[in-house]
Amino acid sequence: MAWITKDSATQQIERRDEPYLSDEMTSYYTDSILPRYANKRAALLPILHDVQHHVGYLPFQALEEIATFLELTAAEVLDTASFYDDFFLEPVGKHVIGVCQSIACEACGHETMLGHLCSKLNIEPGETTPDGLFTVRTMECLGSCDTAPCALFGEERQDDLTVEKIDALIDKLSGDA
Amino acid sequence: MPMTEPVLTKRIPTYPYGDPKDRHAVWYDEYVKTGGYEALAAALEKEPAAIVDTVKDSNLRGRGGAGFPCGLKWTFLPKDYEGQRYLAVNSDESEPCTFKDRMLLDFDPHQLLEGIAITCWACGLQTAYIYIRGEYHEQAVTVQKAIDEAYKNGVFGKQGLMKGKVDFAVDCYLHRGAGAYVCGEETGLLESLEGKRGWPRIKPPFPAVAGLFGKPTIINNVETLACVPHIVQHGSEWFKSLGCESTIGGPPSYGTKLMGVSGHVNRPGVYECDLGFSLRTLIDEYCQGMKGGKKLKAIIPGGISMGVLTADQVDAELDFDIGRKNDLLGLGTACPTVLDEDTDMIMVARNITRFFKNESCGQCTPCREGSGWIYKILCRIEEGEGTTRDLDLLLEIAGSMGAMPGTTICGLADGNNWAVRTIINKFRDEFEARVKPSLVPVTMSV
Ligand SMILES: Cc1cc2nc3c(=O)[nH]c(=O)nc-3n(C[C@H](O)[C@H](O)[C@H](O)COP(=O)(O)O)c2cc1C
Ligand code: SF4
Ligand code: FES
Repeated sequence: MAWITKDSATQQIERRDEPYLSDEMTSYYTDSILPRYANKRAALLPILHDVQHHVGYLPFQALEEIATFLELTAAEVLDTASFYDDFFLEPVGKHVIGVCQSIACEACGHETMLGHLCSKLNIEPGETTPDGLFTVRTMECLGSCDTAPCALFGEERQDDLTVEKIDALIDKLSGDA
Repeated sequence: MPMTEPVLTKRIPTYPYGDPKDRHAVWYDEYVKTGGYEALAAALEKEPAAIVDTVKDSNLRGRGGAGFPCGLKWTFLPKDYEGQRYLAVNSDESEPCTFKDRMLLDFDPHQLLEGIAITCWACGLQTAYIYIRGEYHEQAVTVQKAIDEAYKNGVFGKQGLMKGKVDFAVDCYLHRGAGAYVCGEETGLLESLEGKRGWPRIKPPFPAVAGLFGKPTIINNVETLACVPHIVQHGSEWFKSLGCESTIGGPPSYGTKLMGVSGHVNRPGVYECDLGFSLRTLIDEYCQGMKGGKKLKAIIPGGISMGVLTADQVDAELDFDIGRKNDLLGLGTACPTVLDEDTDMIMVARNITRFFKNESCGQCTPCREGSGWIYKILCRIEEGEGTTRDLDLLLEIAGSMGAMPGTTICGLADGNNWAVRTIINKFRDEFEARVKPSLVPVTMSV
């Protein structure tokens, strides 16, 4: 859970001319997401997921556009978006690596894996490599404790991590870029 | 009578009945070929009230952690109410060390969907939302594919359940969370479904009366709902032949239970056992003993919120009495994490408290502040800077946190309370060896 203080009064919002919510996206929301719920606000999480999937993170301008679309205030959208760890309010790397730090993983050597990953990429947890390729973060139990230590590489879970496995994954992802 | 064949894992090969290597996602056709949706067909022949009675009579207790009787919960819905009602399927599974629901989602999603359809028919719920944790990306894809198949084959949709066998129509949607443990708490889940931060609600009103969008809502765990088709098909007497009675005059623990074992064992994984199964047998036989022949030190028996067991308590039986018999909060999710002799229990306590500190939603002061204080003190002790007084302080703070002491809205703080207190009480020597004696200042007057 993020406990962030927001400089709401003085915040400068970066803007671009082209809207983040394309017509294609909004008509998809209107046709396929809104009808599932009793009110518009309930469509917020699915829409935040979708926008983050398209943009990579949730820029403030996009939050404002979502607010307008759902007839909410921007503050209401930010209130929800800032509560959830998986919504990124700042840019992240192309590949986000989330290493599980909960007890089954710590008991099975997550520290070695996290340490190796960080020194290989030369960043600390929570940081992004200067080339914008990788972000490393720590996460709580990924629901795969029988294959500890494990991590999410993007949307894919990697089980029974070893130093060699991490090297191979990073090399592959660096090569793909 | 102990189980002789797998129930929930009928289509998911699991030791000792099958080899997990043979697991694959079972899609609609294979599900139907292997007897799937027969229970739904049978249910639609019956009056909804009769199904509620069967489930109530089976004594099925919630598999999400609290063990509340499922059928009884269903009867809390308002009678003679014609309007919209909801089912919220709790697929948040974020309790550390818990990964049993994931197996059901990965390999037999239609078993859950059949349970949902029957529950909606029995309770008159027109819409079901499966709230799945955000980290379950692959599982979300699998479940969505299964939902699409179910619509295509007329299970859900406008025409009425099972291709219009009855007029009553049910819609079923997948709703993804976004990384917040507290959204597993049933009212935090409802807030999150409504597009808000996942702040648990003050109860009453209970969700069965005023839940999602203010309407009557039933919330059940994935595994609970997966039990429903089997109960409907084979009857409550069959279900009661599995599992065990209480030996301390409490309510019984009927049925089988998925138990996901992790930690320092040779064969970690999910097993299906009768409730009342011996923890020792689970570790020694199903999991083939301790890794590297190490000695057992402690077991976190069912998610970190329940507390810990010492090696001396390994003969505990995994049923709903386990809490009262072994000084734990309860059975929890029945997913034990096994820790060997090399494990530092101060690390364990620190790790667990960090989780609660990170995941506290912040509404209640004892939970928000207490979890942070406990974490800081434990870090200090781990670094060798703690004092004996810190141990008493930890017990005092922990013991005052939680819905049970009456200071917080939800049970998250109770989890922190029980984890910290039981680890310190049961491994006090180890903590005392790590802390410095507290020096009492002596003032001398001359
Ligand atoms: C902090 C907290 C987290 C919880 N997380 C989950 C969860 O991830 N999955 C779940 O099924 N129940 C969870 N529960 C229990 C639910 O509140 C609720 O009791 C359960 O979903 C009811 O379903 P059942 O009766 O079928 O078990 C949690 C409870 C608390 C207090
Ligand atoms: S007990 Fe903790 S998690 Fe639960 S509502 Fe209060 S602050 Fe939030
Ligand atoms: S503790 Fe790491 S996946 Fe559960």
